[in-house]
Amino acid sequence: MEAIISTTDLRKQFHSRRGAVEAVRGVSIEVGRGEIFGFLGPNGAGKTTTLRMLTTLLPIDSGSATVAGIDVARRPKQVRSRIGYVSQLGGADELATGRENLILQGRLYGGDLASVSSRAQLLMEILDINEFADRRVKTYSGGQRRRLDVALGIVHEPEVLFLDEPSTGLDPQNRAHLWDHVRALRSRGTTIFLTTHYLEEADVLCDRLMIMDHGQIVAEGTPRDLKRQVSGDSVLLSLHDEGGALARARLLISAEPYVRELTTDGDQLRLYVEDGSAALPGLLRLLDRERIALKSISLSEPTLDDVFLHQTGRSLRDAGTNTTESAA
Amino acid sequence: MKTFRDTGLLFHRYTLQMLRNPVWLFVGFSSPILYLALFTPMLKHVAPTLGVRSGGVLEIFLPGILALLAFASGISMGFSTIFELQAGVIERFRVTPASRFAILIGPILSGLMMMAVFDAVVVAIAVGVGFQVHWLGLAALAVLLGLLAALMAAFSTATALVTREINSFAAIINGLNLPILLLAGVLLPISFGPVWMRVLAHFNPLYYAVQASRALATGTFGAPAVWQGFAVLAPLCALIIFWATRVFRKAVA
Ligand SMILES: Nc1ncnc2c1ncn2[C@@H]1O[C@H](COP(=O)(O)OP(=O)(O)OP(=O)(O)O)[C@@H](O)[C@H]1O
Ligand SMILES: [Mg+2]
Repeated sequence: MEAIISTTDLRKQFHSRRGAVEAVRGVSIEVGRGEIFGFLGPNGAGKTTTLRMLTTLLPIDSGSATVAGIDVARRPKQVRSRIGYVSQLGGADELATGRENLILQGRLYGGDLASVSSRAQLLMEILDINEFADRRVKTYSGGQRRRLDVALGIVHEPEVLFLDEPSTGLDPQNRAHLWDHVRALRSRGTTIFLTTHYLEEADVLCDRLMIMDHGQIVAEGTPRDLKRQVSGDSVLLSLHDEGGALARARLLISAEPYVRELTTDGDQLRLYVEDGSAALPGLLRLLDRERIALKSISLSEPTLDDVFLHQTGRSLRDAGTNTTESAA
Repeated sequence: MKTFRDTGLLFHRYTLQMLRNPVWLFVGFSSPILYLALFTPMLKHVAPTLGVRSGGVLEIFLPGILALLAFASGISMGFSTIFELQAGVIERFRVTPASRFAILIGPILSGLMMMAVFDAVVVAIAVGVGFQVHWLGLAALAVLLGLLAALMAAFSTATALVTREINSFAAIINGLNLPILLLAGVLLPISFGPVWMRVLAHFNPLYYAVQASRALATGTFGAPAVWQGFAVLAPLCALIIFWATRVFRKAVA
């Protein structure tokens, strides 16, 4: 895999009156060309800060970063012409129309009016912007505006596209559209680096992802590997506890080689196994043979939230809500 | 070359934004006209007691208004910078390969052009009520006011980039506004004031701009105020634009 983004021990500290905030504390990543790489983490984890260092917007305190083989700190100009960036805020001109925004953006990247106009037209069709392209951005809905933001980031066909929470404010249908579009970009060779709070987005869209918390990487890998390395799948068994069936089942099951961990909760047994779908038949056969009556059985795969929980002891769903530092 | 092109693009963008903001346009046109309409009649009454012949009132007052307009249009530039910072517009421009100098100067030039339009209206009205135009002096005055407005605009934009939020920015700008205006003799010549005011005024760039404006409005090129005005404003303008471009390059925006 050819690395198109690579960083070593990237760090960033902000100084405020109330002391220093270590926003990014030693991030080392490698992103391959043509990957969709996700950055998952709670509010204040340091996702935006990392992205802003990689896109030349923020000076790097220490460590190094290259994008498309170019050193970000030493040659920011060359980096800029190869990347696209859609910030968390968007940043379209409110008093201009969508089309005007796109054309200006394309021309700032050096395109001539004719080619930029036709490129803008194409993008507006692909991203379904046409209908409101000639209205002022001020009048757009949140989702319409987000689509324009994305179009602004790719008007110059960048090699690497950085998306900071691209799907915030999109309804499920438009989110799915955006995912399709991101995949289409990848299939044309663009590398995509995105941040998200959405577990589903990280899971479904990203080829590989990194989970970040308090400025540090807590886990990295494909969504599948990450979920696997946590706990495997979990199987929940409900038994009719007659004549010590529960205790007997417990003993029997824990002796099975594929069971990693077993907990009891009332008349329920929860066991963690390497691969749930492979373990289930054996488990059923065992219980049948021993005539232990089953009320119900369910198999659940771990989510990325379990991964986060496992790594940090907190759930992603409630992490970050108690950070006192406000984002700039 | 690229800087020129980028400057042109951003100039165009900013001009469109202003033309699409009716409130801004209204205030831009009405405030100088209000000054003329509401202040000149009063001056006409006090003029004789101050030893100014009443026909000369506009000669003193109009250059003052024009300098005030240039100063105000420049120093208020940072408010839109703050807004654009918060909306992410500046960040979007800063990720593009566009020249940093162009990102700064495009809007400033656009502001200068709008100012020229407002000024032309004011001068035309003044001519209607008896102001005598000295064309060459007026042309030199335009250059001088351009320097003043560009200098203040660059200062204000850079201050906005450094402070990044409206409260501290507004505090700094308002804090500077009043002393600079009061010690410049904008509405009445500072020579009417006591010695300490006249001394302090010499540390105020706006004072030089106002003095030079008064001389230029009457076409008195030989007056020392004229070369002094340019000698203060031109280098200061270059210096501040240089600083502001650096801030743009580095800004933690
Ligand atoms: N300019 C700044 N000055 C001071 N502190 C900052 C600045 N920018 C970010 N921070 C702090 O750095 C930390 C990381 O912020 P960052 O914006 O990178 O988080 P994030 O992961 O993008 O969060 P979110 O999901 O809310 O966007 C936060 O504690 C934030 O308050
Ligand atoms: Mg963020």
